[in-house]
Amino acid sequence: MSGIHAVEIRSFTKKFGDFTAVDDLNLDIYEGEIFGLLGPNGSGKTTTLLTIATIYKPTSGDIYVYGHSVTREDYAVRKITGIAFQDPKALWVDKPYDLLMWHAKVVGYSGEEARKVVREVMETLGLWEHRNKYFYQLSGGTRKKVELAKVLIQKPRLAILDEPTAQVDVLAKHALWNIIEGLKKEGTTVIIATNDMFEAERVCERIAIIYKGRLRALGTISELKDMIPGGDVVEIQVNNDKLPNNIVERLNEYGRVEFKNRVLRVYLEKGEEKVVDIVDLLKKNNITVSRLMIKEPTLDDVFTYLTGASLRGEG
Amino acid sequence: MFFLSDLRDLIHIIEWDLERLKTQKVFVAMRLSWFVIQVFIFARAISLIVRQLTGINYYEFYLLGVYVSILYSTSISRGYVIADEFDDGIVEYHLSLPIKRNIFVLGRILGCSLAALLFTLPMMLIVLIAVNALNLTGLLVSMIMAYIFSIGVVGLVILVVVNVKSTDATDILFGTIDAILVRLSSIFYPLPIIQAIGIAPYYYAALFNPLTSIADFIRLLFIPEFTLYTVSPYALVLYILGFSIGMIVLAMEHYTKKLEAGGWK
Repeated sequence: MSGIHAVEIRSFTKKFGDFTAVDDLNLDIYEGEIFGLLGPNGSGKTTTLLTIATIYKPTSGDIYVYGHSVTREDYAVRKITGIAFQDPKALWVDKPYDLLMWHAKVVGYSGEEARKVVREVMETLGLWEHRNKYFYQLSGGTRKKVELAKVLIQKPRLAILDEPTAQVDVLAKHALWNIIEGLKKEGTTVIIATNDMFEAERVCERIAIIYKGRLRALGTISELKDMIPGGDVVEIQVNNDKLPNNIVERLNEYGRVEFKNRVLRVYLEKGEEKVVDIVDLLKKNNITVSRLMIKEPTLDDVFTYLTGASLRGEG
Repeated sequence: MFFLSDLRDLIHIIEWDLERLKTQKVFVAMRLSWFVIQVFIFARAISLIVRQLTGINYYEFYLLGVYVSILYSTSISRGYVIADEFDDGIVEYHLSLPIKRNIFVLGRILGCSLAALLFTLPMMLIVLIAVNALNLTGLLVSMIMAYIFSIGVVGLVILVVVNVKSTDATDILFGTIDAILVRLSSIFYPLPIIQAIGIAPYYYAALFNPLTSIADFIRLLFIPEFTLYTVSPYALVLYILGFSIGMIVLAMEHYTKKLEAGGWK
């Protein structure tokens, strides 16, 4: 990660009528890093990405891409930015090869160069055999690959990928993650929006957690996990819909407690030593434990700890 | 400033619209069927009736009107593709491309209208053969003017689409506009006849309707002996040019203003 700013987001707010999609967001993304925007659907990730790509304009504040303002120098920003959308953008009668050939020419390739790069990228993504099918004949995963192919063809300085592996099968996900890391090796700065915590941990170097349009946390994965005090999470599935207040008060002595959808989470130190006492406490109060787990915090735990919501639940 | 790269971008955008035409086989088949029925059944039938009632040869007048009518409706539907692209989200993809916004809109206007012109070219040839008026100079001049007219119509469509921002509302609006513009023009009724009816608003609406201008201009080119004209060809050309330039400017300005802020949502 270099110290050069690829993207500077300054007091960025975006409203649609009375609804505030993003509220006073401030972020720096450095050249050459793979940066993740993590949050459930509707958290403001896509709005932020579309504004960086100059498709939206900020209601207030500004975003700079390699020093170019998205409000005043949108064309300069678009020349160095490529985006793969969450929903693949094509008409149902489009064919992948024709679409990508047109895209290649628009982003600056001449005829022969375009044919070469389109074939290379389609082969890399396993799309070549689908090149002459209609878009409506392609699976969701294959459509996502066509969307990613646009960015790979363009080779932009800044690649924006909005949920690049949603609807993609597990094997293909790993291949796509390797390709995304390949982009970084070629010097491209990558921003990924995702609500898949595993994807975020696997690919991203730094992550911003966004919830209800606001930045809740920013840092490397280990920095984010360190935000959970103690470092352990005891997760207990119980058969009760509610926990009595006195139990919650007793559990608070061990660490921070959350209870949602019959899952009790206690964030604490040395969980393996305290879990027996916790289970005893529950049993004495006639609360049946159906599942128990002591684990290192995941990004989902971090997200839950910071927002009280769940990536899995809302994503 | 206009650069060589802008010209290249413009060509690519035009290419987008020409490619789209190739994928719309049903559209092509439907319009062609409508045209063939108009030329070979209705044109003959209505000309027969008019000749028997008035002694006027209406066949040539009507056929060239049919051509303008299909040029107009094809231009509307080509421009309307942009509204469909809003629904499909393609507009977001287009707005993300490394192309200046003004160049993009200009490219769409030129591309959609060129697609409309190319689509209607065989119909123009059929009409000219049918009225026995095929000549290269006339064909070239009429095609240039038809293209300029079509540019204005596509500009009008873009203007409406980006302001209405709803395909349902746009459908209804264009149904109304289509009904008004085609009927209040000299596409099927000569201006002096409309004037003779004595309803001033009807006459003046038809007189200042760009469909009247293009229809009468094309008729002047191919059937100059026809006497039912009231406006000079120079005025017709100027009016069509003014209409198209005005629509280009308005469409470019509104597209940039309305859509850059995510305004189609």
